[in-house]
Amino acid sequence: MQQDIMTIAAASELITKGKTLLLAGEESLLKQLPKGKWIGGTIPYFISPNQGGLVSQDKIFVTDISAMAASVEVKAYSETELTKVYTEAGDSGFSFIVIPAMTGVHAAFALNAPNYDNFGSQPLIGWVAGVHLDNLGKEKPRVFDGLTGECADNAAMVMHVTLPRNKAVDVGIVNIFEQGEGDTLTFGADGFACTDVLVNGVKENFAAYIERNKLDTKLPLVADYYGALVNISFQSVTAEEVKFYAPVFHGVRYKHAKAVSDYATAFDGQLKKIGLSQDNVVFSCNCILNYLYSGLEGKNTAPFVGPITFGEIAYQLLNQTLVYLEMHDK
Amino acid sequence: MNVPSKTQKQWADIVTGRKAYELKFLAAKIMLGRLVRTVGPNGSPESIRDAVDQLHAIYEKNAASPSVQEDLKTIFG
Repeated sequence: MQQDIMTIAAASELITKGKTLLLAGEESLLKQLPKGKWIGGTIPYFISPNQGGLVSQDKIFVTDISAMAASVEVKAYSETELTKVYTEAGDSGFSFIVIPAMTGVHAAFALNAPNYDNFGSQPLIGWVAGVHLDNLGKEKPRVFDGLTGECADNAAMVMHVTLPRNKAVDVGIVNIFEQGEGDTLTFGADGFACTDVLVNGVKENFAAYIERNKLDTKLPLVADYYGALVNISFQSVTAEEVKFYAPVFHGVRYKHAKAVSDYATAFDGQLKKIGLSQDNVVFSCNCILNYLYSGLEGKNTAPFVGPITFGEIAYQLLNQTLVYLEMHDK
Repeated sequence: MNVPSKTQKQWADIVTGRKAYELKFLAAKIMLGRLVRTVGPNGSPESIRDAVDQLHAIYEKNAASPSVQEDLKTIFG
């Protein structure tokens, strides 16, 4: 299993050889690739095996999943079609998804994925495509279907993968954040933004609450889903509105995360807790906010390498979280 | 290990929150985050049955996954 950053020429050679690939890189680079068994999305940030975190606008990140792909089907899903992503996943593999950030399909998936028909019937993993932060608002995140050469900025690209009979996969997450000891926060409606929050059941303006309690908005809100800790990252705070990078959900109890003094220490602690065998990891991606707030440029997060993303997907949208796919022999 | 029948008491104990297990299978944990909240300890027989159907289906469809096998051992021994 190969995961590495490489030139267009090297990636093209793998495609021409018939390899099944998951790709991440700048739009101008992905557009140069030959047709073949690959899907991809735009992003110039990566964790590479040798250099750690880096920005590259002349290389792409390649994950070769040929050894675990008996066959593949690639399909672009519109906002409404995406409700069928689990139903159409088949019954002996997994699905890999890339969604362009800040689009209707991104919002629809974020809000509705947990309620899609047949949720979780097959593993679903992937990421949200983005752009160089200097180009926010100037360029659009895009996704690619390598089989047809199609490029889209308003659809999710999905590769449904059928596994060889002797293989099985698992999706996991590494979240360095834990719920703090503070107030329980709930929200009146599902959404990416809110004005008010219920603090231990009492309604108040969320921006005023954040200001008064001096909450560090680099730390996410954290919900406990039966032991799986799910983050909601802050995007911006004004008196009128608090915006998030993923939706809060009505009825879910959130707490502001405990402070993390050092990413590497917290990360290692989580890895030990999970007890992961690094030989089994075949894909991973981590969040742009972890990259920025934890200073991952030049840092290694072994055994995990891969794209640094505008959102991580492990069955549903996640934030400030590393997601990974493990392969096992049956 | 095969996925035990939906009639096994443990399934209803999980979706009502009467019993909590430390599970590994991520999709089930995400699903249970919703189910336990909506069904609750005093859920109606219909809501419990519907929740058990959903949870059982997700385990059955992913029975080959190592995390599912670990969970089945944790829940059913």
